[in-house]
Amino acid sequence: MNMMLFGPELYFLGMALVLFFLSLQRRVRVEQTYYVALWLSVGGVVLAGWCLFQEGELFFKAYKVDLFSQIFKAALAVGLFLVLMISRNLAHVEERCHPEFYLFLTTCTLGMMMLVSSVELLTIYVSLELSSYSLYILVPLRRGDDIDTEAGIKYLFIGAVSSGFMLFGLSYIFGATHTTYLAEIMPKMGQLIQNPIGVVGLLLALAGFFFKVSVFPFHFWAPDVYQGAANQVTTFIATASKAAAVAMLLRFAALGASFGYSFAEALVVLSIASMTLGNLVAIIQKDFKRMLAYSSIAHAGYILMGVLTMKEAGYISAIYYALAYLFMNFSVFLVIHEVASDGRDLKIPELAGLWYRSPLLTMTLILGIFALAGVPPSIGFTGKLLLFTSAMSSGYFWLVLIGAVNGTISLYFYLRVVYHAYFLEPGPRPKIHLSWPSRLLNYGVCGIIIGFGVFPDRIVELAKVAARLVL
Amino acid sequence: MESARMLVFNQLETYLYLALMLFAIGLYGVLARRNLIAVLISVELILNAASINFMAFNRFLAPTPAVGQVITLFIMAVAAAEAAIALSIIVAVYRKLRSVNIEQATELRG
Repeated sequence: MNMMLFGPELYFLGMALVLFFLSLQRRVRVEQTYYVALWLSVGGVVLAGWCLFQEGELFFKAYKVDLFSQIFKAALAVGLFLVLMISRNLAHVEERCHPEFYLFLTTCTLGMMMLVSSVELLTIYVSLELSSYSLYILVPLRRGDDIDTEAGIKYLFIGAVSSGFMLFGLSYIFGATHTTYLAEIMPKMGQLIQNPIGVVGLLLALAGFFFKVSVFPFHFWAPDVYQGAANQVTTFIATASKAAAVAMLLRFAALGASFGYSFAEALVVLSIASMTLGNLVAIIQKDFKRMLAYSSIAHAGYILMGVLTMKEAGYISAIYYALAYLFMNFSVFLVIHEVASDGRDLKIPELAGLWYRSPLLTMTLILGIFALAGVPPSIGFTGKLLLFTSAMSSGYFWLVLIGAVNGTISLYFYLRVVYHAYFLEPGPRPKIHLSWPSRLLNYGVCGIIIGFGVFPDRIVELAKVAARLVL
Repeated sequence: MESARMLVFNQLETYLYLALMLFAIGLYGVLARRNLIAVLISVELILNAASINFMAFNRFLAPTPAVGQVITLFIMAVAAAEAAIALSIIVAVYRKLRSVNIEQATELRG
């Protein structure tokens, strides 16, 4: 019984060990390594789904297993599986590095799984760093031009500084409350309302998570890393890593609930700044992944709208949106991976005439883009609707207004992608042949985007139970 | 004289100011220095500032469980891992650019 509480983490730890031994081989068997990693990740998804309704506390109450954490663990396992599905052809990673590539993806997933369960400051810090360090190594693994190491070094230093900020903030929280358990900090936060050390500590501490979700002052890495990292790594950063960071942000921001106005006000400013900056700069981008990076900054702003309400409705919508974002972003990256199958960076004009080259991919692309833009009846529309209504009912009229204006601006660059794919001639580019697993993946992602967009009730019900556990 | 000095060193504020100064120096270093090694050292200064805070709070405010000391030990270990990764990427940068100056790395922009 106790084993099952820690089941998914133990499983991924074992998977990392297996991959570690595979990486020790002198001659790398590429195919074999890939299938080992893929099937192990399938097992991880099954196990994480199996453990969905586990509840309990571990390690002197530093580690809390509840529905909230288990939902995100399942999402992370699915995220790893999806990324491995498109890693069949790792064109831009050297062959002898393939086992290490899978190894660090696994340790990163492990770190994020521990992150969503930890409710103690030191545990949070260590698991956050475990996931970050794996990503720091994954980004420069790309071979070829110099941009990978440049992206890697920028990611590393911005990440290191923001985790330094976070640690400094955590030290103030520790000093003000004399404890490192979130459950014990929560009731003491109210007394600190007059004390600036509390606000400063909490805001500094949130820096680490802001970096992960790429909220405004810590967003600089996103465009460079999205462009410079291999397509698969970017996919992982943009999907699984985002979901985990949102989960931790929710758990942590709940500390500020008793602060009321001043804390929420700071988050309002950050939310507006990120979405406006993200959407405006995305307009001028030519590289597809870079555009998606700015779109992710904007989406971080949207998710913050749900976080800053500090109410159940807001948390439900943020959880729903984080899960939805995983799938809609993945669908777009799936298209990038198939179109740029040699691993190059995809420019938006290269999508011209995609309807002719592969109708199925174009359908996935248009559904993913519509979901990101928030067009009904996709999963993204439902998510945005929930976010905006929750912020509205908490009285943030101006925030919702600016959010809506931003949504309209974002339509421009999202629809430009659709325009290229549907209304331009393909030129001399050949048709794209899809393998059957890839076809299946396309249909699956499309089904999820439409299906959960039209019938969101089950996910919302789950999110409701989960949100109550955190607040 | 002797007792006055003892008083200064036996106060929480002294250590908080020291940590804040280290943090500020580290932040300045990160923003101002162009040498990657110097930036890495500045990041370590920020982490050490946090360590001093934890130790000071542990000593003066919450002495019974030695949580602050444990956290400091963890920070040291994690910072060592971070330095290893950072240095290895810096070596990779040096191999490609023949320099550890961040201004040479300007391929990605827009």
